[in-house]
Amino acid sequence: MSLATTAATQTKFVFGTRDEPGRAVWLLLGPCLLYLIVFSIYPLFHSLRLSLTDLTAATGTGNFVGLANYRALLVDPLFWNAAMNSAIMVFFSVSIQVVLGVALAMFFNLQLKGGWIVRGILLLPMLMTPIIVGVMWRALLNPDWGLVNWAIKQIGLTPPDWLGSVGMSMVTVILVDCWQWTPFVFIIVFARLQALSQDVFEAAQVDGAGPFVTFRRITLPMLTPAIVFAAVFRAVDAFRSFDLIYGLSYGGPARSTTTLSFFSFQNGFQFQNYGYAAAVAYMMLLILAVGTTVMLRYVQIRPGNSR
Amino acid sequence: MSGKEQTDHPRPGENAAVDTGGLTRRDLMQRAGMLGLATAFGGLGGTVPLYAAGFDMKKFAGTKINILMTGDENDHRALADMMPKFVEETGMELEITSPALGALIEKTLQNLKADKSSFELIEYLGFLTTQQVGGGYYEQLNAYIDDPAKTPPDWDFADLIPAAMKNVGIFDMASGTVGKGKDVYGIPGLHSGSVIYFYRKDLFDAAGLQPAKTWDEFKAAAEKLNTDDVAGCSFIGANDFSLAAVDWYTRFITTGGVLMTGSAKEKNFKPQVNSKEGIGALQMLIDLLPYAPKNVTKYGFAENVDGFSTGKIAQMIFWSTIAGPILNSENSMVAETTATTPVPSGDGKSPRAIQGGWGVGIPKNIDPAKKDAAWLALTWITSKAVNRYSIEKYNIDANRTSAFTDPELVAKFPYLKDALTAIETADTIPTSLIPEFFQLNDVMNVEFNAALIGTQDAKTACEKVQTQWEAILRKAGHLA
Repeated sequence: MSLATTAATQTKFVFGTRDEPGRAVWLLLGPCLLYLIVFSIYPLFHSLRLSLTDLTAATGTGNFVGLANYRALLVDPLFWNAAMNSAIMVFFSVSIQVVLGVALAMFFNLQLKGGWIVRGILLLPMLMTPIIVGVMWRALLNPDWGLVNWAIKQIGLTPPDWLGSVGMSMVTVILVDCWQWTPFVFIIVFARLQALSQDVFEAAQVDGAGPFVTFRRITLPMLTPAIVFAAVFRAVDAFRSFDLIYGLSYGGPARSTTTLSFFSFQNGFQFQNYGYAAAVAYMMLLILAVGTTVMLRYVQIRPGNSR
Repeated sequence: MSGKEQTDHPRPGENAAVDTGGLTRRDLMQRAGMLGLATAFGGLGGTVPLYAAGFDMKKFAGTKINILMTGDENDHRALADMMPKFVEETGMELEITSPALGALIEKTLQNLKADKSSFELIEYLGFLTTQQVGGGYYEQLNAYIDDPAKTPPDWDFADLIPAAMKNVGIFDMASGTVGKGKDVYGIPGLHSGSVIYFYRKDLFDAAGLQPAKTWDEFKAAAEKLNTDDVAGCSFIGANDFSLAAVDWYTRFITTGGVLMTGSAKEKNFKPQVNSKEGIGALQMLIDLLPYAPKNVTKYGFAENVDGFSTGKIAQMIFWSTIAGPILNSENSMVAETTATTPVPSGDGKSPRAIQGGWGVGIPKNIDPAKKDAAWLALTWITSKAVNRYSIEKYNIDANRTSAFTDPELVAKFPYLKDALTAIETADTIPTSLIPEFFQLNDVMNVEFNAALIGTQDAKTACEKVQTQWEAILRKAGHLA
């Protein structure tokens, strides 16, 4: 047996084949698999099991109730209120962030002098913990002594009832979310913008395309994968948003900012209805899985635009 | 250990009759107190032990006790301050874990239901006594209390406020009734409390007003005292636990309201939120809006205490333990000009409010070898000296009659007299007898807050609460 054959045999023994993995494969993947099983897969199944029980603090041990929690959810107006709030938050937050993020990316792509400093400052909100952002903005918007209201009054205007009115509180939550996360969209889009080949733009210029046409017909299509990626990422994040709500509005007033995450938290950790809370969480998972699959598929069908 | 095997022990408020060498426990307490109380707080760094001599406080030296307690109030701060003294006197170590209420409940339930609790002592909210003590998770304490070998002689059981003891400590397992019988499962701690009426004496005097005794007088005073700088009154108007529990419930029961009829056990536990008194109590709050701070619908604990302390509110009813700092000149601009009195009431009705407070118990599922040590630690943290320190330093409404009536403390904090009366006459909210208490409270706060904001009227809000409560109670099996 030649040396080459011996080496190949040993490699096959250690790493195995595509169909029959060898020891080394399991050894290398093992820790990762173990981690996933313990911290992701097991909790996933455990919470699924939980969602099929009537476990509360009172009962202690939950009885299997099948899909009763899910059936109850579907006729619970509070669930639909939370779902609607989540949808509103995701739609408006992400839309505003995408528009602002792209605009900022285009602006900073002009390579103005000192732009890198502003860019750095712009990213700071993104580095903060959402719960801190919530508490900080709640203080800034405090109607009695908040800095924002004080500033508005100084210029002779009447500040809105940021977190006190049903109509305004969701707007405030969306604005604060945009303040924190627009930089994320900006940085993704800006990075893509920097990587675009200049040849296309030069060709367009030679062909007499103006700035608006260039943006609409060339820049925007080439940025689409980055924009969709940022939008999907942000949509998932905004949909799960809990800590910002907890710190800023605590779901109120009159449940006008209670999102699905907050609703699940309330049921689980305030009312100790663990089974019901798990069902809410699973509904969220389902919505997210469907939503992201659809959106990511949309990215895949347009790869040509990115090249 | 069954409750029937226990010897009778003195109920709080009764004269103690435990044989301790010819002296009753109260006698011992009084004598020891002459030495102990007078010297205990010459300073935290003092060397005089908190307990009288003759009891081996160090028998569990080296043992580590873990306590799970609230981090939302000042109890944990007072205890942390006292830690060096605890270590010095007992030789034990006390590890404090003090999360916010939600996490505290979650952590408590996890530990109570585990094979073995990580915490030898757990502080539970009085509203959860039925759920947690009634669930059979805590050690019965009668045998410890009655045993002079386990209980320091100057730990005065009879001195614990009887109403607080009934609210968090005494439970009849057979009937599932809190406050019934003689079986003790928890000790009031680290604070008790109810609701009292805070008012600006200087403003009332200047306007020729007396503190309100009725709700009509309260409103009239609010109207008269309301200026651009000072709101005529305030209340918890935010979607906050105390909107329902303090402001609405106090007005409700002092105008003749009865929150629940029937019983959960009989499956006829029916709410009366949409009763005349229920709607009336909410309407009272709505009617006060013109005289309250402009943003009162966002006012919770902190906003009200801050507003009052800085002189922007003329009167309000509030948890005495939270608002105590208003009477402390270190924290308040109006400490010298604020007075207290019992809450107003409806014509011909007695002033009273909701019973608050906490209890501390020893979970059954702790290491058996640590139970005696846990009890000793519990007696230490609920001792007179710790009570006194908590009041003096943090204005916490502690849980001993002696602390509320201590002449020196009363001279410094006159509100203690009213706070004690409030605790003694307070009413245990009936919904706290079922595990759905927080869910019911949340529904009420959301709807009442919406009414205060102006999106619905009082009647609609109360009807909505009634409907939602009935649905929750039916689902939980408390209402057929």
